[in-house]
Amino acid sequence: MRIRKQLLVIGGLVCALGFAAIASAQNEAKQFPVATKTLKNGMKVLVQSDHSIPNVALYIFYRIGSRNEHPGTTGLSHFFEHMMFNGAKKYGPGELDKVMEANGGENNAYTTQNTTVYQDWFPRSALPLIFDIEADRIQYLQFDPKKIASEREVVASERRLRTDNDNGGLLDEQLWATAFIAHPYQWPVVGWMSDIEHWTMEDLKHHFEMGYSPNNATMVVVGDVTPDEIFQLCEKFIEPIPTHAPPPPVTTVEPEQLGERRLAVHKTAELPLLMIGYHVPQTNNPDFYALNILRTVLFQGESSRMYQRLVDKDQIALDVSAFVQPSFDPTLVIVVAQPKQGIDPAKCETAIYEEFDKTKSALISDQELEKAKNIRLVEFYHQMRTINGRANTIGTYEVFFGDYNRLFDAAKNYSAVTKEDVQRVAKQYFGANNRTVATLLPENEEKAKQ
Amino acid sequence: MRTVKPFTKTLLVTCLVCVFCNVGSAQTLKLPPHEKNVLKNGLTLLVMEKHGVPIVSFSAIVKTGSAADPVGQDGLATITAGLLRKGTQQRTAQQFAGDLDFIGGSFDAGADTDYTTISAEFLTKDLDRGLDLFTDAVLHASFPQAEVDKLLAQSVDGVKASKDEAEAVLGTYYAGYLYGGHAYGRPGGGDELTLKRIRRDAIVKFYGTNYVPSNTILAVAGEFNVAELKKKLEDAFGAWPAKSAPAVAIPPSTPVKGKHLLLVDKTDASQTYFEIGNVGVSATDPDRIAIRVVNTAFGGTFASILNTALRIDSGYTYGAQSFFQPQKVAGPFAIASFTKNETTVPAIDLALKVLDDLHKNGLTAVQLDTAKKYLKGQFPPRIETSAQLAGRIVTNEFYGLDDNEINQLEARIDAVTLESAKQIIAKHFPKENLVFVLIGKSAEIRPAVKKYAETMDERRISEPGFWPPAK
Repeated sequence: MRIRKQLLVIGGLVCALGFAAIASAQNEAKQFPVATKTLKNGMKVLVQSDHSIPNVALYIFYRIGSRNEHPGTTGLSHFFEHMMFNGAKKYGPGELDKVMEANGGENNAYTTQNTTVYQDWFPRSALPLIFDIEADRIQYLQFDPKKIASEREVVASERRLRTDNDNGGLLDEQLWATAFIAHPYQWPVVGWMSDIEHWTMEDLKHHFEMGYSPNNATMVVVGDVTPDEIFQLCEKFIEPIPTHAPPPPVTTVEPEQLGERRLAVHKTAELPLLMIGYHVPQTNNPDFYALNILRTVLFQGESSRMYQRLVDKDQIALDVSAFVQPSFDPTLVIVVAQPKQGIDPAKCETAIYEEFDKTKSALISDQELEKAKNIRLVEFYHQMRTINGRANTIGTYEVFFGDYNRLFDAAKNYSAVTKEDVQRVAKQYFGANNRTVATLLPENEEKAKQ
Repeated sequence: MRTVKPFTKTLLVTCLVCVFCNVGSAQTLKLPPHEKNVLKNGLTLLVMEKHGVPIVSFSAIVKTGSAADPVGQDGLATITAGLLRKGTQQRTAQQFAGDLDFIGGSFDAGADTDYTTISAEFLTKDLDRGLDLFTDAVLHASFPQAEVDKLLAQSVDGVKASKDEAEAVLGTYYAGYLYGGHAYGRPGGGDELTLKRIRRDAIVKFYGTNYVPSNTILAVAGEFNVAELKKKLEDAFGAWPAKSAPAVAIPPSTPVKGKHLLLVDKTDASQTYFEIGNVGVSATDPDRIAIRVVNTAFGGTFASILNTALRIDSGYTYGAQSFFQPQKVAGPFAIASFTKNETTVPAIDLALKVLDDLHKNGLTAVQLDTAKKYLKGQFPPRIETSAQLAGRIVTNEFYGLDDNEINQLEARIDAVTLESAKQIIAKHFPKENLVFVLIGKSAEIRPAVKKYAETMDERRISEPGFWPPAK
């Protein structure tokens, strides 16, 4: 039970961009209208009214993540995210959460390779307070050495939880570090442990100045509000915040991978684990849609080709899946297979390659194409059913495609995908030279002690 | 899933805590109207119209859960539920998956201690096809031997995979150690040994005995015409033959006396994962709302007393929380957190001090008021979707709780005073009698953690089963 909850949560964040519509959903653009305004300091604000519950979801997307970091200060974006809860001028250390909860609200945030995203969920009665808090911390964040020291420990604990003590997290980290040799996607979002231990106050201040300019952010508000009241609150609280230069562009381009790369992790474990990463283009590339259709046909649901082959027919894996994160730069599609006990991960590898090859040598069926499009439609509605899902999805499209309207155009773009497109992307991206194969191999405990 | 996880300020709060949620501001939020019908065959139907997106959500409860698993066959209820879609009178497992995926539908079934849940969702336009799939699985599962073998083998490996992640199995060890031989102490999903003892005959018998109309509640919520939907449901379920199921008698659970500690050795752990507590309350305990309020202040939010001490002020951990898990009879209460091996003792000491201070000092007026506002403010998103609503009304029906559970929640929250909070703490939060379960690197932490308990037991995580040790 607990495992599934965690998987769902993470899947929901990572897969936000997979959720799009087909033809019949195009009217949804009218059903869920978005009002926009760009403030004088450059921050764009998107608002969607929905009065079905008396609550509001407010997201602020900053276009800064681990891709804007450098060796020695990896993980700084994420650490900074934590510091945004540790006190500013009006709301001092510990005050932000106390005041928000005392007004019925709560908050969280997440950091990825590309963005740092702040989330507030609250009853509409707390609207002015939330704007006051957000304006305070964007402008007047405190850098108390004591708080920094204690938060460093919190982040180290988070790293142990999600990476060092988690076979999936550990192997994933090794995979990115091997698949990328030049581009910043090679280091982990949470940062290497030695970097977590060594950031300085100056590093933090520099990061703040670099990433937290209003023109580097997009705000999305969905819920029991009107666009006018949100724009007015923005004018009062957000617009006066001065703007400055956004982060310098990330100019490093990952060179083409010219041959398969492999890595192994040997550690105490009950079961082995397999991950295979393939380089694919960034989110706003036109191949986005065909790649998603291919991924759906191969990996989504128990009728998918990979599930049928590895889990159902050959019975060599407990599960098999594939994921891609929204990204500004060319990224990875990662295939994850959990081999059964005693099964050589190489067996799973072979089966996965054979299934990829079938999508290159022959077209997928009409029925598979239609199924994939239906699955996308349902996922669109799943995102649209809550104010929180909408805020995250609208913002993700706005940030990664440069226009939230792509959410509503996705209908058209998915219907345009043909079986030939799917075959072409299978051939183009899923070859041996373009892949990095990561395997976790269990060592028994006796051996581990030696 | 396992790849490229966004790193966050906090772990999203688990559903254990979602049970402790509440009503919106100014009593504007009420449960939408819904209808209850009992068919001639005894099936209870709950229907609620909910507009917004064109989705229909099914949520069924079969009133028998893993607490009814025969001794030594833990996992039987879970396996039975998992096999519903793996072959029916009309469809093979592959055909079922194909038909379901083609319409983008979802179908999930699993067992909790008290009951089995079956939930499904479809687009409104696919309602007929979805209903056909749902009834096919629930009424006509055929349990092909090959699928039984497959799922049992996968489930054994699933238990092993979960042991690679301490957090994933901590609750199972904790329940086992806290409840001993009581039904709530057994692993609902089974373990490496019990799953191997389950035979198809037992599954067919469990299904035939318990999946009967009088033992089932079905809630349907979403975008549809109520009259049409009721007709469809009556057509689909009316012919389900009436039969009575044996009631599941779960013995009362009583708090553990004394202090006891279980140390589970995970040799590669760089953090200790722990739960501390005792037996809590039942889902129908008259104090349940007041307990919710007090626990919210104590360990239910980011700014709670517990998380403030263990995370915000000391940096010992990424997160600390406390929760009650109310069930048919008293379910567990626990304080849960994790910290690096070196700070295991200071972190546990602090957690105990915070619990002690709660008994000594009670809550402040600000803490109490904050908990009330938080619960009320965060409740509306918990009943926002048709799936959430269907799940809530079916669970309330199972426990015999009426709509006032939601409609009167705000008033009940507001009724909690500092004085009543004090009584709740004394009555329901453990103090002297505590069970500790730790998963970590025994070689590094064993000598120091002995001090917490009168008796200490040890296990290696790689040993089959959880607790008590398999015989």
